[in-house]
Amino acid sequence: MTEICAAMEALFPCREATIETLGDLIGDCEDVYPSAIYLFGHSGTGKTSITREFLRECGRRQKVRTAHLNAIECYTTKIMLENLLDSLASGQGPIKADNMLDFVEQLRRWHDDPEGLSEGFLIAVDNAERLRDMDANVLPVLLRLQQLTKLNLCVILMSQLPFEKFYNKTGLSDVIILHLAQYNKGETQRILASDFSQMRGNLIKKYAKEHDRLEIFKEVMTEDFYNNYMNIFLSVFYKACRDLPELQLTARKCFSIYLEPVLDGSVEATDISRLWRHIAGPLRSALTQIYMRIEKPLDEAEGSTNLEDQSVRKMAQSLELPYYAKYLLIAAFLASHNAANQDKRLFVKHHGKQRKRMQTVNARAKTTEKMSTFVGPKSFSIDRLLAIFYAILEEKVGLTCNLLSQISTLVHLKLLSFVSGEQNIMDGSARLECTVGLEFVLQIGKVVGFNVRQYLCDFM
Amino acid sequence: MPAMDPTISVSKGCFVYKNGATRAGKKASSKRKHSVGSSSPSNLLGTEITGQPFYETYNQTWRQISSHITDLQQRSYARTLDQLVEFVVSQDATDDLLPTAALLTGINQPDHLSQFDALTRRLHDQRSAQVCVLQSRDCSTLKAAVESMVFGLVEDDGGEELGEEEEDVAERDRKRLRRSQCTMKQLKSWYMNNFSSERKPYHLVVILPDFECFSAGVLQDLILILCAHCDELPFVLVLGVATAVSAVHGTLPYHVSSKIRLRVFQTQAAPVGLNEVLEKVLLSPKYAFHLSGKAFKFLTHIFLYYDFSVHGFIQGFKYCLMEHFFAGNAFALCSEYSRALSRIQQLTHTDMESIRRLPSFRPYVEGINDCKRVIAILTDDEYLKKKLPQLLRDCHIHFLLFRSALEFLTELVCDLPRCPLGKLRRELYVHCLNRPLASTSEFKECWQMLSFLSRDEFVGKVKRSLEKVESFLTEEIAPLELGESCAAVLRPQLVEIRRALDEVIEASMTPVTASISEDTRLPSTDISQVASRQELKAQLLQRSKEDKHRQDQRQPTSEFARALQKTLRLIETNLVLDNLRCLQDAPPLHELFVFNDIATVRRNIIGAPRAALHTALNNPHFYLQCKCCELREQSLLVSTLPDLSVAYKLHLECGRMINLFDWLQAFRSVLNGGDDENEESNQEQIDPQIQARFTRAVAELQFLGYIKMSKRKTDHATRLTW
Repeated sequence: MTEICAAMEALFPCREATIETLGDLIGDCEDVYPSAIYLFGHSGTGKTSITREFLRECGRRQKVRTAHLNAIECYTTKIMLENLLDSLASGQGPIKADNMLDFVEQLRRWHDDPEGLSEGFLIAVDNAERLRDMDANVLPVLLRLQQLTKLNLCVILMSQLPFEKFYNKTGLSDVIILHLAQYNKGETQRILASDFSQMRGNLIKKYAKEHDRLEIFKEVMTEDFYNNYMNIFLSVFYKACRDLPELQLTARKCFSIYLEPVLDGSVEATDISRLWRHIAGPLRSALTQIYMRIEKPLDEAEGSTNLEDQSVRKMAQSLELPYYAKYLLIAAFLASHNAANQDKRLFVKHHGKQRKRMQTVNARAKTTEKMSTFVGPKSFSIDRLLAIFYAILEEKVGLTCNLLSQISTLVHLKLLSFVSGEQNIMDGSARLECTVGLEFVLQIGKVVGFNVRQYLCDFM
Repeated sequence: MPAMDPTISVSKGCFVYKNGATRAGKKASSKRKHSVGSSSPSNLLGTEITGQPFYETYNQTWRQISSHITDLQQRSYARTLDQLVEFVVSQDATDDLLPTAALLTGINQPDHLSQFDALTRRLHDQRSAQVCVLQSRDCSTLKAAVESMVFGLVEDDGGEELGEEEEDVAERDRKRLRRSQCTMKQLKSWYMNNFSSERKPYHLVVILPDFECFSAGVLQDLILILCAHCDELPFVLVLGVATAVSAVHGTLPYHVSSKIRLRVFQTQAAPVGLNEVLEKVLLSPKYAFHLSGKAFKFLTHIFLYYDFSVHGFIQGFKYCLMEHFFAGNAFALCSEYSRALSRIQQLTHTDMESIRRLPSFRPYVEGINDCKRVIAILTDDEYLKKKLPQLLRDCHIHFLLFRSALEFLTELVCDLPRCPLGKLRRELYVHCLNRPLASTSEFKECWQMLSFLSRDEFVGKVKRSLEKVESFLTEEIAPLELGESCAAVLRPQLVEIRRALDEVIEASMTPVTASISEDTRLPSTDISQVASRQELKAQLLQRSKEDKHRQDQRQPTSEFARALQKTLRLIETNLVLDNLRCLQDAPPLHELFVFNDIATVRRNIIGAPRAALHTALNNPHFYLQCKCCELREQSLLVSTLPDLSVAYKLHLECGRMINLFDWLQAFRSVLNGGDDENEESNQEQIDPQIQARFTRAVAELQFLGYIKMSKRKTDHATRLTW
């Protein structure tokens, strides 16, 4: 057991306590395992990787059979059970298990079987919160599997939720709960800096062709230098993101930019403030792209810069829509953000004069909270959409299939969405709403030469 | 007309044929693909039709054009495809992230399926991947999604490339495979059996052609699953995104998007693709068939205003082609010149008559002075046949010249400020064909702008235009049959223009006529003497008019300006007036080459269901053609109309809510028609038969979606249309 822990601690810095606890609980297959362990913590805190490594070590050093599965994959119970049996049986050919009963029976058979030489069974389930949505008996059975099968068996559940979220009406048996706290800043930096030698190796390979750069690099690349970089890096990123793999990825990406002026010889490696000025811009732009994982092709590094700032304006202009589809979208926006009783005033030329009364004037005195563009879209019927469409379009167009199919195209593109009555479009009770924002529609209006503001109640 | 074929019908019918295309299975389609190459396609029509000369010509023309288009599209896809294939092939499992390619396709998704097909084929050719195209309709749940993905990957046999024994293995696999067995586990074992021995990783490519249509939950789970298996199975995900990359990030939350590695690929925009097709194929001088300006505009209009579908455009064009040739065997002459010559002898008397009935034939006949020849042309088929080659030749040469001159004009006016004539060749084409160009205001505006250009600009522009035409003549026109004669006509005109241009270059800027400028000073009437404001206004107005008048009359003041005007005039007379003639002034028999029947096309390719239903219900005679329902006026109500039609017309007169009892009364009174005498007695008692007919009509209206029974108000129906 101590060997396992020692091997693990080298791999996972700052997780010594957790590993030790795990080792105490299931480190030795000759002791009796606890029935179930619940492991939780945010993403990127090492739940899965620690468990996976732990199971592997156990399987290698002791006579333990292990299974690791992802609950997302198990859209039916049968798949989960067969996957479990497959990895536990390890190469005895496919075993069938249609339901929980078969599964438990099969495990019991192993218990009775004298040839089953394994002493322990470990089952790890990732994304355990999905188990709640599966058949009602899955979660209770898993938690009490040891009791049901009389095997020395432990189920490790992993999730991002606290265990309280699992409670249901029938109640669950007790589990041992382990929490993996988020790394603090110091720990994060320690972990990030721990890949120094790997990083150095990679970069030496990368610069192998360019001799003079390689020389400078070998000289400059010290632990201190790398730690400094990580410090700067975390000062920008730590507030926004604590997901370790994500940080690691971005740090690696930005490091070559950080290194560039040093290799050029323009900045001394010790001149940290100048290096900071140099890297601040790229870091900030990398911050906007964190989690997005957009990878730039090498040859189009310059051309794809416009992808970075996907401002609404650019998106509206780059989105190609046929002419009438643009008008339909504008009409949908107007229908979503104007009250239906205002339509006549907005779209009919001779709508008559409106009496002004003190009451209505007061009611109209709009505050920003009341502005419908801020409140969000309201639903409208297809008839109203078409009526507004015809009102804002100067030319006369027929109500043809091509036009009507544009509505469904817009729905497909998620620019409009059905609110209700998607099934009965035929009887006219289906209601849609427009999902794009004011800025976007203003841009589209500009492209077709239509002033959207003029037709919005909010701006009258 | 030839003998009636069972499929040719006067009524607007739609015939269903089972031709084996119903099975959408991969195998069936691949087999059909092979058969298409060998035997002639589309034998829906009997030999009575396919044997006709017009069909033969049609078939040949269409095949040429469609292969040209396919070729063009292949080439335009090629660059993106190359990048994509390279992306897929170069993936190796370095980290446990899912490599993902987002292909920004543009909004018309059905069009882009062909692009994904091409990608699949390319990957198969390289023997480096199994490909599965996953449609959103197959993925309503995660279970369905995974099953169809695994099924697709395992079934995808990559064409014929599998060897004999591999085929056997695949065959056995397939027999074993049931839908419910398609799980990731199965996929993994299948992959281990088949590909684990190969050295380079054999990729599993999953293509989602319509990313936006997937439900977000399914997609997220699917990506998480793929990602979880990424270390053992080298998956590559390809997303067809219709809108923008932000849609991907909008759909996928952080915990999913951090599992993928996204690379964005941009494809050619649809309008660009269409322009390419238009300029390289439809406007190519190679083909004898032309669209008139209106038809051309109509088809592009559908594209730009409605659907952005290049495929739809091509189908519309094909329809025009069919419609054109189906008009009769005389239209078989619409092909290359030499082929047309050989066809002339096959023409029958009816064909000759149909030629004589062409609108442009009449001015031609009227233009002949000799009485005897007129009679001969009108009555003697043989004589006309002798005349035909010359007429056809004129037509051909006219179109070639038109096309060349269009090239010149496009280059000349495409980058003028505000582009009065448009900047694309297709826009100019429409302008030129629709109206006499020289008399339009846009043309005058262009000419004025050209005359304002500086010397360098002007000379450069005209030179570029001349070069363009020259290269067009050598590259496109010269290989054609009548290319030589076309060039022979055009070259002297170009030489003339070039000479005029030389004058422009040499001309000095010194003013030539100073005499006129003297009398511009002349009207120095003193404005101070005016009595009233109105008088002043009138005077000013008059003076400005005089100024303008003088300007018009005044000769260009410098040698340069004169030379410039001369060049412009030369261009106008030589190219615009001579060659870019509008359709009315085209040579006789041009109808054989130009399709102009826009009304038929519009009726047939644009569906207007609401309008059609309204006509059918409002005026059943239009479709039924029966004697009883003939209406003098649309709004008339006659008792002989079908019940449904009567009920419909009555409901049109109502407001939003319709009282059923009133409706029934009105219905009854229409049916009973004139006989008023027993109406009094029947006031309370309604004939059950009429009531039944009424109920039925109302139910049918409800079925058609015109009304709905109101829940709020008893015995009322709500109108659903406006």
